[in-house]
Amino acid sequence: MGTRRGWLIGTLVGMLALLGVVASLPAQDDSALAYYRQAKINWRLAAGQSLTIGLNKHPFTESLLPAIPEFERLTGIKVEYLILPEQEYFSKLVADLSQQRGEFTVIMTGPMRNWQYATPGWIMPLDEFINDPKLTDRGWYRLDDFYPGLIAANRWNGKVGGGVGEGPLYSVPVLAESYILAYRKDIFDQHKIKVPTTIEEMAEAARLVKKNAGIDGIVARGTPAVPTVATGFISGIKSYTDGKWNEVDDKLNTTFHDPRSVKFTQTWVDMVRASGPSNWANMTWYDAMEAFAAGQAGMIADADFFAATYEDPKKSKIAGKVGYALIPAGPGGKTYAGLWTWGLGMSKATKNKDAAWLFIQWATSPRTLLNATVEHRNYNPSRVSVMNDLRVQKLMGGWGGGSYVKTQQENLKTARVAWVPQPERTRLGDIWARSLHEIYFNRASAADALKKASAEVDKVLQEAGIKK
Amino acid sequence: MPAVTARGRRRQNALLPYLLLAPAFALLVGMLYPFGLGLYYSLTNYWLQYPHLFRFVWLGNYVALVTEPLFVYALEFTVGYALVAVLVQVGLGLAIALFLHARIPGRSVVRALMLMPLMMPPVITALMWKIMMASTTAGILNYALSFLGLGPINWLGSIRGAMASILIIDTWGNLPFVSLILLGGLQSLPGEPYEAARVDGATPRAILRHITLPLLSPFIVLAITFRMMDALRIFDVIYATTVGGPADATTNLHMLAFQYSFQWYQMGKGMAHAVVLLALVVVASAVLLRFWNRAATHTAA
Repeated sequence: MGTRRGWLIGTLVGMLALLGVVASLPAQDDSALAYYRQAKINWRLAAGQSLTIGLNKHPFTESLLPAIPEFERLTGIKVEYLILPEQEYFSKLVADLSQQRGEFTVIMTGPMRNWQYATPGWIMPLDEFINDPKLTDRGWYRLDDFYPGLIAANRWNGKVGGGVGEGPLYSVPVLAESYILAYRKDIFDQHKIKVPTTIEEMAEAARLVKKNAGIDGIVARGTPAVPTVATGFISGIKSYTDGKWNEVDDKLNTTFHDPRSVKFTQTWVDMVRASGPSNWANMTWYDAMEAFAAGQAGMIADADFFAATYEDPKKSKIAGKVGYALIPAGPGGKTYAGLWTWGLGMSKATKNKDAAWLFIQWATSPRTLLNATVEHRNYNPSRVSVMNDLRVQKLMGGWGGGSYVKTQQENLKTARVAWVPQPERTRLGDIWARSLHEIYFNRASAADALKKASAEVDKVLQEAGIKK
Repeated sequence: MPAVTARGRRRQNALLPYLLLAPAFALLVGMLYPFGLGLYYSLTNYWLQYPHLFRFVWLGNYVALVTEPLFVYALEFTVGYALVAVLVQVGLGLAIALFLHARIPGRSVVRALMLMPLMMPPVITALMWKIMMASTTAGILNYALSFLGLGPINWLGSIRGAMASILIIDTWGNLPFVSLILLGGLQSLPGEPYEAARVDGATPRAILRHITLPLLSPFIVLAITFRMMDALRIFDVIYATTVGGPADATTNLHMLAFQYSFQWYQMGKGMAHAVVLLALVVVASAVLLRFWNRAATHTAA
């Protein structure tokens, strides 16, 4: 997750918050409403109530805003919203949820965040709304139209250390993000470099690109915080260990210092140090994506949908020159890429819960989500029907000469939430990323740095009462 | 009747000071409440996600600080950075002020231009520099340096480079402020001692050392005080460029307090860091203000 962290200008301006209050437009019926009225529910059952919604600055948010008056006409529910850049959004959200003030009723969240909010009981399971025929027309809404892996990612039974895909659904996914390898096909072809299928081959490919093409062989996120380990790195390490190694074991002992983890981490950091950009330790997702789009690097293992930027000639110098492949696998030959979905959830402090669910149902219905992708470039679609829509195929189908959609769909079959569920995931990731810095700057050997990081996480888990 | 009026007026007079002070009291409460709350939280293990764990730990957070390796480093970096930054910024600021005070052509233009960095929000300043300082192959700053036959320097991606970068960005943004204070001071100095010195045939260097610097000392101490307080709690530049990295090299107390409070939601620990920082700033400014008092009385006499 966190690829949208701060989202562009959002990060830049930092403190700037936009408070938008949507005034009800004069009532006018339009064809759009007819679509929603096909659902056999009474959309007006909460008419006159109001909702306040917390949103992260994101293309999905952009797609939602112009449509909100439509929702208000459909339901008679008044919607106010607050949009914040990601970092500020999460701070404000936690402040609101922890006080249970109910300032945010519908929230933007996702798998790893849900673990943090569900543990103290701040957010609502959504199943009771979905299963209530008065509130949801299941035939019209079609929950089974979502990619099953994405729905599973948003379910959790509340057990620390496992249980993802089981138990209540805490948010409905509005997009899918997983991690693949993007590489410069032109350079790889010209210098006959093999598209890597193992981490060792990846390090070698990075070396060869740097040697032959004179640009950085690999670019990656590198700031000392969780996003650095959350995409290509964690996908790589889980694939390298055939999905058998986890950052914490069954007894919630942190296992960064497991020999397999040490080996992979060493290879990764060596690769980045030898063939990566000089400012790796300072690179955010945005810097890394921009550097690759500017033609400054041969490979990037990060969010799949960054392809939208790479393939846009207005934003990229390498449009049409990129190939896409799965993250390098382990001895078993299978890839275990990580997964993140932004989704809509509900705060438990919400007074108008029915109204909140009507909003979530409306915002995640096939038509609303199709519009988000077609009109506002909300990638990748979380619904199969949206992905298969001809307009969407036209948008994404040509990326990488068709290799993008093929790789993305292939990847989605095995991709899953990479992290072990526990509420201190962010903290664990921050500590993990900082240990990569220790190794990168030769302050400690990989084994020592990772061992220290394990101990540090263990201490936090104990302090938080998660681990005995 | 006149007596009543007089008493009424007296009562009015007695109330007046309080009425005039009322906004100040309101402001004081507005300032003290968050401060008191922060102090209170620093004595608890308040952790937003785990309300059920909440309890008083009294000085536990402070005791724990001592054994936290990053705290010790952050404390050293906070103090070390402030000392270096103040030295560099006041030194350069003095040089610039002396330069602008001299009768050189075009100085009014330079003075106006010099104000530019002051008009920029520090976060924007920092992000602008971050873009210029991008990698050794892509950054425009290294490109410019190459014409001088220098570099490339790994600005934000190396430990020493990142420390230097923070200092450069901070200095760029605050040098005008220091220069202006000192320039204002220079322009307010009396002319007689200079005339007397010139009559006695003193060298410019002797004049600077024995007349200008002593007379200017209250202003210098003032500039040091302002900059010291800001440099001790510098945050925006670090947050917008290195976020404390690489390898924690630019993590100061303010950054650490922020991380504990708003990234990890451990309010108790975060506030303990913040209180230590506050104590540091208070002590530093108290000492410096005493110097300032002394310098001011000295010069006046």
